[in-house]
Amino acid sequence: MSQSAIAAVTHHEVVMEASPYAMDKKKLGMWVFIVSDACSFAAFLFAYGYMRVGAPVWGTPFGFSSILNGVVMTAVLLSSSLTMLAATHASQTGEKASAGKWLGITMLLGTIFAALHLREWFKLIAEGWRLFYNPAGGAAQFGAAFFSVTGLHLTHVVTGVIVLAFIARGYRQGRYDETHVETAGLYWHFVDLVWMFVFPLMYLMNAH
Amino acid sequence: MFAATAEKNIFLGVKIMPATAAQAAVHHAPPQGFIRKYIFSVDHKVIGIQYLTMSLVAVFVGMALSWAMRIHLAWPDAHIPLLGWLSPSGAPGGLMTPEYYLSLMTMHGTIMAFFVLTAAPLAGFGNFILPIQVGAADMAFPRLNMSSFWVTLVGFILACATFFIPDGPPLSGWTAYAPLSAVGSVAGPGQGWGQNLWGLSIVCFCIASLLGALNFIVTTLDLRTKGMTLPRLPLSTWGWFIDAWVSLLAFAVLLPTCLLLVLDRLAGTSFFIPSGLVINDQLQPHSGGSPLLFQHLFWFFGHPEVYIIILPAFGIVSHIMPTFIRKPLVGGWKVITFAEVAVGTLSFVVWGHHMFVSGMSPFMAMVFSVPTLFITIPSVIAVLVWVFSLYHANIRFDTPLLFSLGFVSLFISGGIGGFFLAQPSTDSYLHATSFVVGHFHFTMGLSAIFATLAGFYYWFPKMFGRMMNEKLGKVHFWLSFVLVYCVFMTMHLTGFAGAVRRYSALVDDFMVPLIPANKFMTIAALLLGATQFIFLFNAIWSRFKGPKAPNNPWDATTLEWDTTSPPPFDNFGGRQITVYHGPMEYDGEASVMQTSPAESVAGT
Amino acid sequence: MSSNRELTMSSYVGIGIGLMVIVLIEVILTYQHLPTRTLLFSVLSLACLEAFVAIMYLMHVKYERPLLFWTIFPATLFVFVFLCYIWPDAFRMFSMRLLQ
Repeated sequence: MSQSAIAAVTHHEVVMEASPYAMDKKKLGMWVFIVSDACSFAAFLFAYGYMRVGAPVWGTPFGFSSILNGVVMTAVLLSSSLTMLAATHASQTGEKASAGKWLGITMLLGTIFAALHLREWFKLIAEGWRLFYNPAGGAAQFGAAFFSVTGLHLTHVVTGVIVLAFIARGYRQGRYDETHVETAGLYWHFVDLVWMFVFPLMYLMNAH
Repeated sequence: MFAATAEKNIFLGVKIMPATAAQAAVHHAPPQGFIRKYIFSVDHKVIGIQYLTMSLVAVFVGMALSWAMRIHLAWPDAHIPLLGWLSPSGAPGGLMTPEYYLSLMTMHGTIMAFFVLTAAPLAGFGNFILPIQVGAADMAFPRLNMSSFWVTLVGFILACATFFIPDGPPLSGWTAYAPLSAVGSVAGPGQGWGQNLWGLSIVCFCIASLLGALNFIVTTLDLRTKGMTLPRLPLSTWGWFIDAWVSLLAFAVLLPTCLLLVLDRLAGTSFFIPSGLVINDQLQPHSGGSPLLFQHLFWFFGHPEVYIIILPAFGIVSHIMPTFIRKPLVGGWKVITFAEVAVGTLSFVVWGHHMFVSGMSPFMAMVFSVPTLFITIPSVIAVLVWVFSLYHANIRFDTPLLFSLGFVSLFISGGIGGFFLAQPSTDSYLHATSFVVGHFHFTMGLSAIFATLAGFYYWFPKMFGRMMNEKLGKVHFWLSFVLVYCVFMTMHLTGFAGAVRRYSALVDDFMVPLIPANKFMTIAALLLGATQFIFLFNAIWSRFKGPKAPNNPWDATTLEWDTTSPPPFDNFGGRQITVYHGPMEYDGEASVMQTSPAESVAGT
Repeated sequence: MSSNRELTMSSYVGIGIGLMVIVLIEVILTYQHLPTRTLLFSVLSLACLEAFVAIMYLMHVKYERPLLFWTIFPATLFVFVFLCYIWPDAFRMFSMRLLQ
């Protein structure tokens, strides 16, 4: 036990054991949350896979324009991860204005992603796709799997944008510090990570 | 592969926490006002008591449901006026319909499994005790903790609300198998809004549990006080910590399962509903789903769930026993903790033993059966630790120890039945008989309840500053212990004889001879229920009139006994707490408190 | 205090470009008329590679303590691996379908 670590105990100072991960508790909490959310998404994707394997005709409704849209969405989300990293870096060197700017750009890119996604949804719905109906004659579960998985992901994106807004505001007002920005960044990267699986499994596997 | 880090030894590093970093214990002023102190409180102690209060209400609701069920099984023509008032359609004139029996069974299971067995030992005691045992002033995320409780309570209210809607509660069992649970009200009474409310209730419980697990994990890892290294953690904290990981991963899969079920019910999807399903002469419009998928996803959660229920019990009993046997457990912290980790890990690979007769691949049946037999090994190791620790011990037979030993007995009894259920050959006969019901009530229901009661009698002085009545405690124990065996051991025997579970009446000719046994079980169950009022009276009376409790009435060692009863709002009054010893050090008869600066006993 | 920042923004941009290249490879593979199973395994492997790179670099795990890696990966992969127990029934279901 390090003797030099024993400090004078005042009302506001207590000596504690160091975190085995050497990180802020918010960040550790976010990692634990990410593990659980990853398992939830996995369960959804496994259910999709299970149904697809058992379906005689699944259908491949996505034309090249849908895939191209998907690639653009991927690029947008990936860029937003990079801008989020820029925001995190800026906050760690105390550049508040720069951090705020990068957070704003990240939120904008997230919104663009959501808009592109919703535009595609509306296109599909206009063609007759529903949670329970496949206008191309294949398995009716296509809509169920597609809309529920991408819908869950979209919910995470939208929630992320809203959370980033609160973080940006709090950081600017001095209530939050760089650890808050970094923790929010972890969540945002996770959302990008999930898309890295959703895009191939839901779009590329269903392309014709 | 990894960048070199300056600090190599994570156990010797310490940190000094300034006030604004918000990393250390929450250094806020004591809450003011009734609402902030007792209703919307972020104090983990208040939240723990709130969970325990909810569970106490839930357990009496759950028991009342079981009394109604048992009365009907013994006397199928009985009129129960209260039921007739509650549901004129389900129990016209108080005479229970078979469907209503299933509804009562469903809510008994749901309320007991979730709002009593998962909530009380883990969220109830864990919330109150864990931060104090690690030396923190609160949980890592106090406001998240408060939200977890209130979301759980909303879930409980939704579950209870199913009794008051016109169609009544769902009748698909706590397991809510599709397609019965997925097709909607065409399937029977309670399958409309009853099942919807049920689904919403479980979704609330999932979210609250996930956030709670997160809190427990971060608190145990990050908020330990100086000297509280992981080997020195009390065994109850280890139990809650390991349990939090199991809980995190299991509830993460239940949440999508329930969401998919809700989509099938409300959005017309067919994740779980097959084509060509005809119910009440109506062809269901859904097609292409798989009921087996629901079972797989549900039991992927469902089996770890029973270990989520039992691991805090392992921890609580392992923590309580040393105090009353005045010596550490055999093998120290390592053996029990290893057993808990093994049990928790293996619990994820055995779920198919609930599905041996479901039409699942027979090859998978073998894949599930083998680890199910293996999981008995760490469980038996834990049991042997508890039993062998009693040798050459100076035992103080106080109520907490009696309930702990009762736990061990019930767990062994239930566990032996598990050997028969673990193998597809014998399970094919025993599945869906009351043998299974007896088995899980022993291993999951009663053991966890006995461990929770042990924890209740043990920590009551700390939580409320008063002692419970020891004589009433002993009466409560002995009556409960004997009656529990009367009810549930008999249930194993009727199960062998072929009594089918979830049947509201025993009318088939092979079951008619079992009616006297059922009458016996019913009478014993009603007496068992009456016995619990002794406990309720003891708890409520002692809360207000019991003798004042000292800081350390049991002469125990861990940090919760190093503060006042009840503790101040920040647990230790702002003192620096430094830990020098493990949690189970005894110097002859005398206990060595963890904070005592004496020389360490070798091995800790 | 956060961990070492061995990476500059330009390295991150490079990693981002690398990830997009992987995505484009996935898209190209999609249009190669591969059998479904081959496409699935290729695309899933590439996605896992992307995820690994993103976790280690973008989410900084390479620069955190090894304990973080050994906590999050085993726990998450454990669930993924054992969820795979459902596949035998998925494949059986296909061959047990009623032909209509």
